[in-house]
Amino acid sequence: MAEKGKMSNEHLGGVARLREEQEKVVKDCESRIQHWKKLSGDYEALNDRLKTLPDQLSYDITVPFGPLAFMPGKLVHTNEVTALLGDNWFAKCSTKQAQKIVDHRMKYVKSEMDDLSKTMKNFEARVGLTKDLENISSGKGDYIDIREDSRNIEAAVTKGRKRIEELWARLDELEKLEQQQDDQDRLSDNADMNGDMNGEESSSSEEEKEADAAPPVNGQSVKPSWTPAPHSKKPPCKDSIAEEDDEEEEGHGLPTILFSHTMEPKKVRINTGKNTMLKFSERKEQHSKKKKKNGLNNGHHELHKITTPVDIYRLFVDVKNGEPIPRKSILKSRSRENSVCSDTSESSAADFDERRMIGRSFSHDDTTHSDTSDGLTEEDSPTAVPLHPTSRFEAFSGTVVEKDPMPTAVPHLTLAPPALPTIMERKQEEVVSEVAPPQEAPKRVSKFKAARLQQK
Amino acid sequence: MAEAIQKKLKVEVEKYTQMQKDVSKSVSARQKLETQLAENNIVKEELDLLDTKNTVYKLIGPVLVKQDLDEAKATVTKRLEYINGEIQRYETLLKDLENKSDQHRELLSGLQQEFQKAQGMAVGKV
Repeated sequence: MAEKGKMSNEHLGGVARLREEQEKVVKDCESRIQHWKKLSGDYEALNDRLKTLPDQLSYDITVPFGPLAFMPGKLVHTNEVTALLGDNWFAKCSTKQAQKIVDHRMKYVKSEMDDLSKTMKNFEARVGLTKDLENISSGKGDYIDIREDSRNIEAAVTKGRKRIEELWARLDELEKLEQQQDDQDRLSDNADMNGDMNGEESSSSEEEKEADAAPPVNGQSVKPSWTPAPHSKKPPCKDSIAEEDDEEEEGHGLPTILFSHTMEPKKVRINTGKNTMLKFSERKEQHSKKKKKNGLNNGHHELHKITTPVDIYRLFVDVKNGEPIPRKSILKSRSRENSVCSDTSESSAADFDERRMIGRSFSHDDTTHSDTSDGLTEEDSPTAVPLHPTSRFEAFSGTVVEKDPMPTAVPHLTLAPPALPTIMERKQEEVVSEVAPPQEAPKRVSKFKAARLQQK
Repeated sequence: MAEAIQKKLKVEVEKYTQMQKDVSKSVSARQKLETQLAENNIVKEELDLLDTKNTVYKLIGPVLVKQDLDEAKATVTKRLEYINGEIQRYETLLKDLENKSDQHRELLSGLQQEFQKAQGMAVGKV
């Protein structure tokens, strides 16, 4: 603003000077016009004199002798006039001829006067303009100079860049953690097939839920790419990060999770394939997301930060009667009918908490079973699955039918994806399918191989 | 170093002022010629209007000398031509002078810059 003021001052000075110069010219023109007017007046008088002079033959006049003396005399040859033509040339002529000369001169004077008046008008107009310009530059009057401040845009750009860099750094960190968790889970898989505890622990241990992501992923039998547990860790990690800060749209097949770029609470819309859009309850979402600030920059509110699907279950709890009651998964019989509806999304999602580790255990079971009847007959393949897991909730039965994951996966692609309960899975599925489908097979194989070997 | 430049600068400035004077002189001379030209044009016109019966006088000093109309006309015409020639000469002269003064001006500005630099360095040193 100081610069602007300074500039305007200089500008103002320049404009003022211009105005002064122009006014000078105008004044000059005026003075010249005055001069010419005088001349024309003189010529007018001369004309009159020349007209009246020949009326008499002679006139009695008082002739001036020098500056102080006068003498009476006569004016003769009244018609003879010696006229100055210019440049020291004289011509003797009659009064009429002299009059003609005078007329000529008068014409000349008039033309000069006209020119001068024209220039004067021009310069007067210019003076007016410069006066207006002065007013504009000084800020007086009704003129306003509009200038945009381009500094804010640059600041915003730099901010965005910083955030992006931070996000990438965070991404790398999380990937490393995933790797670690992978190894841990593989070892713990055989021991802990009871999903809840494992899932809870893992969820509490880390901000990013690889382990948590894995069970739900495994529970999902619809898509083969979703099932492998270890690999689901990576994608959900990235996904959760992406979810928070970036815009990510996953369009694998029908179920899609759309995340909007968030500077404010997000709404997660889940397209569950059959033209049904499920929304997390906005109340709870906003509640959870108000506490969760933009991305990774802010402090981790572990309880309220949603980084993996498990977090959703944790957050979207039922009415708290003294204690938050986690919702039941839709795989449970009670929420089965509502699995496609939006209202029970949270309840069904919450149920998955329990089923997370189970899901992993019967991921292969699901694939095998869905091959036969469950997946194909029912829309919600996971709903079919609960029949089995409920009985086998407690432990891994050990009846693992090992199959090549890919062929079993193929038939499932055609299945209609289940509704809500598989939100997290889907998300993970899609990410996982993007990231490491080939890797899933070997890892999965290795896990169950290990189990089988143990059995043997 | 700064002093030498300063001296140089002074000399150059003097030269430049001289040149400017020349320019202004030639400009004023040209203006005079212009007015004379205008006047002689008028005289010529007037003389054309006159007939032979009118006597024409020329003022030489305090004396009015009788002149023949034709002679007067011829004289005036010649004078006109002379004036035109003079004007052109002065124009060319003026152009040359202006060019020279421009060059000189540039030289001066360069010298000034050097001088300022030298002064700045001197100040820094001190």
